[in-house]
Amino acid sequence: MQQQQTAGQQQPVFPQPPQVITTKDHLYLKDQLSWELLAAKKCRHFANECTDPEIRQAIDKAGQMHQRHYELLLKHLKNNNAQQMQAVNQAQQQ
Amino acid sequence: MNQNQSSNTIQNPKPQNEPQVKGPEMNDRDRVNDILALEKYLTDSFNVSAREASHAQLHQDIMTVLNETHQCQYELYQLMFRKGYYKLEAEEQTKLDQTYRQFSDYSTQFPYSGTVVQ
Repeated sequence: MQQQQTAGQQQPVFPQPPQVITTKDHLYLKDQLSWELLAAKKCRHFANECTDPEIRQAIDKAGQMHQRHYELLLKHLKNNNAQQMQAVNQAQQQ
Repeated sequence: MNQNQSSNTIQNPKPQNEPQVKGPEMNDRDRVNDILALEKYLTDSFNVSAREASHAQLHQDIMTVLNETHQCQYELYQLMFRKGYYKLEAEEQTKLDQTYRQFSDYSTQFPYSGTVVQ
């Protein structure tokens, strides 16, 4: 969002994609969260049915990982798109 | 590891508590197999998600998820191998040697001369 000077008004160049959740990101995040929640539930359910303690423990570990991944991905839905887009629009209007 | 000298197979003994005659109900082996399939499916799905992510932080987090899911999948496979669910078969030495020679000869086709600097 800098480097003009030449020919007065010019579109700014974004060095990298801004921290905005795009419509596509949003659709993917919804899918990903559904996968992780189902995976966590399934692991918990199966682990409880296991007789071999080693298998039970391994499946439980996987389930806990999925729940952790759910929380990691969920954070991205709290992204402040409004604020990010305000900065983007300001840069574009300069 | 019941591998004798002439055999090419590698397999652990099966666990004692596994039922000899299996019924229609799911057993521990079915369950861990199903979770393994689930993890494999997730690595495919997250691979697609990772390359579609827009900004760096989102991409980074999806890569973390992808990487950890791969690790989890491999750990389950290792557990299943220990339990004797997998039989591995070693390739014959002569066949390996033959393919090694074939692809070593292809080095004449390398587009870069000399040793490629890492």
